[in-house]
Formats: sequence, C-alpha cells, structure tokens
Amino acid sequence: MLRPDPDRLLRRDFLKWLGAGTGVVAFSCSDRQEAGRLAGSGAAESDLHWGKAPCRYCGTGCGVEVGVRDGKVLAVRGDTSSPVNKGLLCVKGYHLPAMLYGRDRLLHPQLRQPDGSLRRISWDEALATVAGKYAEALQAHGPGAVGVYGSGQWTVFDGYAALKWCKGGLRSNNLEPNARLCMASAVSGFLAQFQSDEPMGCYEDFEAGDDFVLWGANMAEMHPVLFSRILESKRRRPSVRIVDIATRRTPTSEYADMYVEFRPGTDLALANGILHLLVRENRWSKAFVAENVVFRRGSEDLQQIGYGCFGEQAERYTFEDQAQEASFEDLERFLAGYAPGPVSDITGVPEAQIRALAEIYADYGRGTVSLWCMGVNQHVRGTWMNNLITDLHLLTGKIGRPGANPFSLTGQPSACGTVREVGTTCNRLPADMVVTNDEHRRKAEQIWGLPEGTIPAVPGHHAVDLFRAFARGEVKVLWVQTTNPWVTLPNLQRMQRRPGDGRFLVVSDIYPTPTTDAADLILPAAAWVEREGVFGNSERRTQQWNKLVEPPGEAREDAWQIMQVARRMGMGHLFPWPEEDWHAPMFEEYRSFTLGTGKDLASYAQLQRTRGLLWPVVDGKETRYRYAAGFDPYVKKARGVHFYKAKGYGEKAALWLRPYHPPAESPDAEYPLWLCTGRVLEHWHTGSMTRRVRQLHQAVPEAYVEVNAADAAALGIKDGDRVRLVSRRGSLELGARVDGRGQPPPGSVFVPFFDEHCRINALTLDAMCNISKEPDYKKCAVRLERA
Amino acid sequence: MKRALWLLALLPACREAPPPGPQKTAAAQRAERRLFDGAPPVIPHQSFGVACISCHNERGLEVAGVGFAPPSPHADTRGMSAISRCTQCHVFRATEALFGANDFDGLRQDLRRGARLYGGAPPVIPHQVFMRENCRACHSGPAAREEVRCSHPERARCVQCHVPATGAPDFARE
Repeated sequence: MLRPDPDRLLRRDFLKWLGAGTGVVAFSCSDRQEAGRLAGSGAAESDLHWGKAPCRYCGTGCGVEVGVRDGKVLAVRGDTSSPVNKGLLCVKGYHLPAMLYGRDRLLHPQLRQPDGSLRRISWDEALATVAGKYAEALQAHGPGAVGVYGSGQWTVFDGYAALKWCKGGLRSNNLEPNARLCMASAVSGFLAQFQSDEPMGCYEDFEAGDDFVLWGANMAEMHPVLFSRILESKRRRPSVRIVDIATRRTPTSEYADMYVEFRPGTDLALANGILHLLVRENRWSKAFVAENVVFRRGSEDLQQIGYGCFGEQAERYTFEDQAQEASFEDLERFLAGYAPGPVSDITGVPEAQIRALAEIYADYGRGTVSLWCMGVNQHVRGTWMNNLITDLHLLTGKIGRPGANPFSLTGQPSACGTVREVGTTCNRLPADMVVTNDEHRRKAEQIWGLPEGTIPAVPGHHAVDLFRAFARGEVKVLWVQTTNPWVTLPNLQRMQRRPGDGRFLVVSDIYPTPTTDAADLILPAAAWVEREGVFGNSERRTQQWNKLVEPPGEAREDAWQIMQVARRMGMGHLFPWPEEDWHAPMFEEYRSFTLGTGKDLASYAQLQRTRGLLWPVVDGKETRYRYAAGFDPYVKKARGVHFYKAKGYGEKAALWLRPYHPPAESPDAEYPLWLCTGRVLEHWHTGSMTRRVRQLHQAVPEAYVEVNAADAAALGIKDGDRVRLVSRRGSLELGARVDGRGQPPPGSVFVPFFDEHCRINALTLDAMCNISKEPDYKKCAVRLERA
Repeated sequence: MKRALWLLALLPACREAPPPGPQKTAAAQRAERRLFDGAPPVIPHQSFGVACISCHNERGLEVAGVGFAPPSPHADTRGMSAISRCTQCHVFRATEALFGANDFDGLRQDLRRGARLYGGAPPVIPHQVFMRENCRACHSGPAAREEVRCSHPERARCVQCHVPATGAPDFARE
C-alpha cells in the first residue's frame, strides 16, 4: 500500500511547487483549443442569474443558490447566507442540476393500451380520463374506492391541493403520504407527548449542545451537512462528545467517542435501562417533572397488539392505543425489571456502557441532544421508542433550552412542511387538527367555505393498508405523485396486480420508474426549480423558492394537475384563484389555519424575502426554541418551559411508560441473519433522480449486501462475490461487500434500497408500528447463499 | 520568513518542467472530473487507504508512480467542518457505466474571464471564494491551468488586490 510521508516529501515538493509557479511552462496548442471549446458561452459565475431554493433531496433543507442562464440551470452553489448549511452542500446537493436533465424525462401524458404499450395523449384527454375514473369509482363504490398517495417531496402547494381536493372535494380520507413509511412514528411520538407535532429545538442545538446521542442514525451519510455542524462544534470545543448507538458500524461510528452496539429491536430495553438508572440513582429533575410532566401508560399486551402483518392483521391493521393515567410510582415499579444486568442480557450492551449513557443524560451541566431518524421510526414499536427517547429528556429536564433537546431528523425535503404541517394523511387536517374531531372539521369547512359535514369523520386507510386495499381491488382508483411505492413498500409481492382487477393507477413523476411501469396513466411532472414551491425542513423552517426555468416538454407541477382534475369534476370552487397567479393566495389560505395556533407560518411575502423562517412566526419573528420562555412568544412564563399545546394533559408533557417487545420476526435456524435496509450518501431514496447523475451513479452503481467478515468466511464468500439473499417473502441476487463502508456485526447484513433493479423490499416484512403504522424496514430474518 | 527567503534563493536550481501529461488535455480532464465548474471534482484514482490530506495538503504532493496530487483549495469552512469528511463531497468512481444518458450542459467558465478595470489592473475573482480559500491550489503549482496561472504566487495575501465579483448592480445613490 502506498503511504507517502508528507513530512519527508514536503520540502522537496514545496521547492518543486515554487519552481513550477515561477518558471515558464509550455502547454500544447490543443490544450488551448480545448479550453476554448469547453469555455462554451464564456460565462462566469457572476454572469448567471442566481436564484435561491432549498435542496430537492433530504429533510435537512440546505440553502442552494441556483445559477441560470438562457432558461437552463448551469450550476448550483451552497448558499452562504443560509443559516442551515452556511454555504456547504453534500455530494448530492453539489450535483443537483443534472438531476433535471436526464434524457428520459417524462415529457407528455401517456395512457397504457390493452397490449401494455403506452400511447401519448394530450393533457385534455389525460385530465378528463383521471376525472372520469374518479367520478366513476365514487359513483359506483363511494369515497372508500378512491385514494391519493403523495409524499414528503410534495411542495406545500401540492399537498394542500391534494388535501383540499381529497377531503373537501372527493369527501374521502384515503389520502396518504410515503412519509408514513418514513417519519410517522416521530409524529405519533410527539403527538402522544406534547399533543402537537414536531421538535422544540432547532439546528442551533448543534452548536449549543455538549453531547450528541445518535439513536440508530448514520448522520455522516444521511444528514452529512448537519453532521458537519456537529464535527465543527467538536473541533472548536474538544469536550463535545458523539455517541453512536447502532446495530452496525457506519462512517458515523468513526467519529464517535462511544460506539454502543445493541441487538436489533432492543433499543426499547436499552432506553428503559437508562431510565431505570436515572430513577434508581435519583438522578432526575424533581422540580422539572413536578412542574411540567404527567405520566401515561398505554396498551402493552403483545398478543392483542401484534405486528400488523400476521393473520387477520395482514389484511387490515387498525389497532388503537388506549391511554391510562399513571404516576411516578408506577414508573418506578415499571422500571424495576430494567436493571443493568437484565438489560445487558437483552441488548448485548455491556453494563458499563448502559451506566455511561445514564451518566450522559443525568449530567445536568451538559446539554444533551438526542438525534434519530429511520432507525427509531421504522420500528415495530417506533412510537414507543420515540416516547422513550423524549422520556429521557423529560425526566432530566433537558428539554426546551439551547443544546438540550430530543430532535427527530427527517429524510424528505418537506416531510415536515407538507405532510406533517398541511396534514396529508388519512386522519389529519392542517396545523395539528384531525378529521375525528368535530370542531377541527368545522374549522376546515369554514375556511374552505364548504357545508358542515363535508369532510368525513372516519380516517381512511394508512399507507400500507391503502396498498393492501388496492391489491384486493377494494380501492379502485389511486393517484401516486412524487414517490415510487413499487420500490419502497415493504413486502413488495403484495403489489402484484391481477389481470382485469379493475384497478386504475395514475402516476405523476419526472422519470420512468417501476411505479410508472405499473401505471395505467403517466403524467409528466415539473421538478424542483421548474416550478414555484415551499418546503418545510426538520427544524420547522419554511422555505420558499420561485420558478427559475421552464419544465421540459409538457411537464406540469403536481398541484396544477390536481386542480385541473378537480375543475373537470365540478370542484373548481375549491381552487378559486386565477390560473396564472394562485401560489400566494393558496398559501395565505393555508396559512390562515395556522395563525393563533402556535404553528403560525410567516406570510408568503416574508418567505419570498428570507432564507426561510422557523415557525411559530409571530409579528414577523421566528421561534428558535418552541415551548421555551424567552424564545416562544406563546410562553408567558419568565423562565423554563410551557407545553401549552398539550391541553389534554393540563398543558404539561406526557412521560410514557413503554415496555420492550421483541421484533416481529427474528433469525432462526432456517433464516439465521438479521436484514437491515437503508440509504447511502450518494443516492437519495429510490435513486430515480440521483442515478441519472453520472458522478453519483458511477460512485455507487448498484445495491450490494454488507456482510460481516466472520459470516462471509464461514460461508466461503469473498468481497465482490455474487450471493443470494433469501427471506420468507422473496429472494435477490446481488454482490457481497465485506468490510465495506458499513460493517454489520456477525449475524446481520445490510442492503441499501435505492436500486430499482435490485429491490430489497421483495424480502422485507410488512410488520409495522402499532401506533404510527410505519413499517419496520430494519429487522427481518434472511438467509445468505453463494449464487 | 527566513526559511522562505532561503528557499527562494534556491529557486533557479529547482526549476524543472512538469512531468509528461496524460493523453487528454487539461481542460478535457477538468471537465470530465467535474459536473460543472464549481462542482466538487470526483476522485480520479482508487483509494490508497491513507487520509486524503496526506497528499492533498496545502501545497500538493508529487507521489512517485502516481503523479501530482493537487493541493486542497479548502482552508476555512466557516462553521462547517467538512474538511475531515472529504468523501462527503468527492466520490470515487466504481464504474464507467451510466444509468442513462443525461443532457446537462453545465457552467464551463472562460478561464480568462476575470474582468480588469484596465490593462494592468488586478483581475477580479469571477467565482465564489467559499471553499476555495487557498488560491494557490488552482493558481500556481503543477496543477494550475495555464490560463489561470499566477505570475506572483509568492505574494501570499491574494485578496489584498483581487476581490470577488458578486454580480451586484453598479453603485447609484438612492
């Protein structure tokens, strides 16, 4: 291996550098010609028109400056005036513009013919077809037979149009986002504890905190720019510590001061083990708890709860948690079974590490930030795990101040802004309202000018059940926008359609995908800066951008598509704005839901001027720390916190007692390995955008399976070998990676899900969180064979 | 300072031509490694298993049998410590194959484009300086392109005379 010695070579090289710099160097003539050709239009950075936009990919919401000339995006650069990323992007962000220009962009509406081929049709015909199919299904089968499935990549406009059309027009609550597969457990976690969704902290916690406890979050790859902020804090303040609690070693682990490896699913026991020590050793904040916390306990019977995927639950999963009041004494008794010894036996975490974790949370002098994303959310007890992490902060009073907060990261650019705030799920309405509440429905009906009783009071199907109902033929017409469920849903063979099943699938996207392959009608969508938009990121920052270039061909933005179909169904009254200028009035109507609720959004005009603002925005001022005196205008106290949204808990937060339950499926003799799935730095979600960028595709061209060296040796598998991975649901052939960038412990493997040619979700299990109904993509049993 | 003077005294003896170049022109190679001018270049070699900074240091390094490792242009990341995570932005190439064709035609700067007020005036900087604080990384040494090679790299304070162009409109009183 080449190991240059910089110290030894430096002097000689420095001389060479000086020599070359001052000497006359001959360059060939062809180089000059080449330079002239590649100079193209001879533009310089300063000649481009630079517009602002948030990045299209993850939930971090990095500010991007987009360089445009002659109607084309030519470059991007990190926005140095963005408080999110301060000028830095990750490799995906730096390569954003090419994402718009893949040669196979969808340019025209296309209708599937009986022979399976696609025929180009006009927008008129396409929109009339969609309107006709929805009207037909509504008339014949009622609102339960139609549905809309969007995503956390929907802009606020797309999501709001879909919500209003679905719930106020079609009178169906079958509206779901792919975010159900992504952060639904964080939503139900925050709702159970604060009766209001989304975190109290913000990204400034990365500079203010002392200890960053990562619960199953590979931030170095998934939230690289935020991880850079933590690393910078560590560089400036060597006392900063990073704790990586994980089921495999990742690039994040390399930077961790402590790496804690637990057995899949046993994080529930680990968190309870920490709570046990805090209580037993009297290291909790009595004053904070007395003033701000109530105790609650839910259903805990494993038989009754199940996993949402076996027996009758495999058709429809409708479990509902039942809350009971509890007390500190109940908590003490409940935690008695989570002493370090038994917790170490369950989790595989040494007792010393459990004690060290307890010490981190107990040390009131140090700010603790807990961070999590899919590891906690995609979990058969994801809501419970969210609750337990927040419990650690409630019990120690480390919440609602700079540098001490539980902070859930998100994976999509507007999972918060659109899905969670607009409320594009089967049970929600804007600003924390739900369809099951009479007052909430009335408020929505009033704002929308609709007669009382328009919005149905019964929630629709959650995402997995929506597709199960579609597979059964119970849901007849489904419109999928900005997402790729034929790659991302768990246990994919459930999606196989039967010939003549009478279903009609409409898919709006920017590129062909396995989902458009399954579609009866494909609609070409405008992407990112080809349209005006608003995203909301993980830290409650609402960010607006303007349309900077025209979409290609006949592509149109998703919200426009929905509004056009609504007009053709006689529901034009829902969207009473002029066609050429509807963004600002639509946003202001949506904003009226939020004013005075503690989730107040800034005006559209203010959002246009700024690099985003953190809600609640009151009198034009953003709120960095929610519920915190001195920061949140809704808090009238002089100091401390006030959980004013939790009316049902006497304006206190609820600390939930949540036990350990085993995963839905664990390795056995036949399927001896754990399978965990996830992302890689270079690709975003199903890769439909990033794989069309040469630099990103060439960096990670295909999915692979990470295998522990000991397991590989036992099976006679070498790095790069083709192997077969088999679960009870499917099998897949792919390349093995031994000692790659991620290193699973013995007995487990990891496969990224971005590769549409190698769909790992053919193997995953559709087990889900009992409360959020979010599937568990992190734990099922597989067998590995040489191919 | 004393050491620098000593080094300068040795200069004439150390002057030598750059190593024979590869087949492709420098401009073509530059374009091949960058999506557009301003994008982070991809890594054109396989991993050597050492920290990137051991070769891509402030001045760059001639590595026997490999070639010249250009210096890192990054000095100060203003609160964003990315320096230790090079592969967060620069990626290796595992294949030459494409997923599909792409028609993106990005910014390729005219390297002579830095505007001057008059013939002998110092040109303004036509690109963002953020993440390119080490001017000498691209403007001097073996990796510098002819068009942007600086005649006076020994003057360490570049931004004393060269200022970034922002594209702001001309000054006018309100």
